[in-house]
Amino acid sequence: MENNDIAWQSELARRARIYEDIEAGDRFEGTMTVLDYTGMTVLTLVLVVGFWLWGA
Amino acid sequence: MTDHVALEHISTLKTEQEEAARNRAAAERGDAPLLPSERLWGFWEFTYANSALAIATWAFLIGGSVGLFVGPKEGIAAIIIGNIVGVVLTALATTTMTGRYGVEQFVALRSQFGYNGSRVVYVLAVVILTMGWLAVLAMMFGRSIDGLMALSAGEAANPTGAKMIIAAIGAILLTWFIVAKGPTSIKFFNMVVSPALVLLMVVMLYLILSHHSIGELLALPALAPPFEDKTLNFIVAVEVNLAAGFSWWPYIGNLARLTKNERTAFWPNVLGIFGAAALGEIVGLLAAVALGESDPTIWMTKIAGPMIGIVALLFVAFANMTSMANILYTSIVGLRQVGTASVRAISWGAILFLFCLIPFGLVVFYPQMYDGFFIFLVWTSALNSALAGIGIADYFFLRGQKLDMRSLHGPQENGPYRFWAGFNPIGLFALAVGFIVYVAVFNPQTLASLPAFKYLTASVPSCLAAGATHYVLTRLFARGRGWGQYP
Repeated sequence: MENNDIAWQSELARRARIYEDIEAGDRFEGTMTVLDYTGMTVLTLVLVVGFWLWGA
Repeated sequence: MTDHVALEHISTLKTEQEEAARNRAAAERGDAPLLPSERLWGFWEFTYANSALAIATWAFLIGGSVGLFVGPKEGIAAIIIGNIVGVVLTALATTTMTGRYGVEQFVALRSQFGYNGSRVVYVLAVVILTMGWLAVLAMMFGRSIDGLMALSAGEAANPTGAKMIIAAIGAILLTWFIVAKGPTSIKFFNMVVSPALVLLMVVMLYLILSHHSIGELLALPALAPPFEDKTLNFIVAVEVNLAAGFSWWPYIGNLARLTKNERTAFWPNVLGIFGAAALGEIVGLLAAVALGESDPTIWMTKIAGPMIGIVALLFVAFANMTSMANILYTSIVGLRQVGTASVRAISWGAILFLFCLIPFGLVVFYPQMYDGFFIFLVWTSALNSALAGIGIADYFFLRGQKLDMRSLHGPQENGPYRFWAGFNPIGLFALAVGFIVYVAVFNPQTLASLPAFKYLTASVPSCLAAGATHYVLTRLFARGRGWGQYP
């Protein structure tokens, strides 16, 4: 039981370390960029304003 | 190499493979973050999974409810506006962090509410919401069966009668049985039901459009507008749809952690959840207004005559069972994840049955809930919109999109997310502020509202108030106390 727990804690540490390395090297793939957030804002605004004018 | 050494080598490899499989299964359950290499869903896979979740019979119910307040033209506008805002804010608060780190949503919430606080949030947001939906969907199943029997016998249906209650209880028991057997049976139902529901929506839309031109449909009036003020009716319809959009908060974060990266975790929600839910709601709205009845189990019998009506009702009953199984399974998996050792010790079948007791009670003692189900839906938004506001403020503005996997998954009692006895008083206070702002601006029970509601809705101020409160109080008090490892 104790061995299992130790093994699991080291597995958790291994996974955490992988993310820490990715973070330290700024190697996250497919992150949301300014372009994504701008696109999301523009899409939301266009739909809200457009349908408000059309339907309200 | 001797045979003995080779055998030993094979045996070691086998043990390592078994251990890797066990670790991966544990990570999939949420005990550890999924690594980027372990995540399988790309853009289209997640879009399909999202659409399958959103294309459900509740879309017909929500669309029908919108038809009570406004006509089809305003209703379509309300569906688009409410859903896009609700889905985008919810996806920002949940899917960006789970998509980046592969972390389970309620484990990530330890950073916002503390390790005990995240349990409270789970009970408030997931357990109550799921119990309510289970009851509503079971009643919809019961009404479908009642309508089916009435159609076959050529009699009038009795939507609140004994037959409905017995069928609804049967639906909950059957759902319990399906989920108790495990996820494989649910997966099978999903594969069949989602495409068939899209087909049903297309057939319904064709039948409606074959009786009315688009111009006629758009000019139809609302079924039962509660106010003389048209703008107020429109904003209530928008609020119902904001609630529908925010109601994905408990579910989409944990789906998004299975995607390959942050961008793939976010955008499919706009296509899948928003697009599919809006389509289903618009069909429900048009049918309800064209046939003068907001209840899908009634308008389906009117739209296409007895034969197609029987098939449609039978299918709706079947589809409801699938949705019930999905939400029950997801909630119980999560409950065991956030639960204490005593909760984890309860057997799978027993915990499922205990969970079903309140939906049983609602079906038997409060069948009126079905007709006013949008009131229940809007109440949930008082919580979900505040949770979204806190999530965005915490992850984007306070933590700069950085989470510490080691602290989130390590022992919690002395970790940085201990806050105050496992609860973050700031996060929970901000949640209460958001809830109070919501109910002050718009009371879901009485539909009474402040003048500001007509311009701001209630979900948006609740989201902003909760987020701002969390941000300001955390900046003022958390860092000095060493709470929450804020940068």
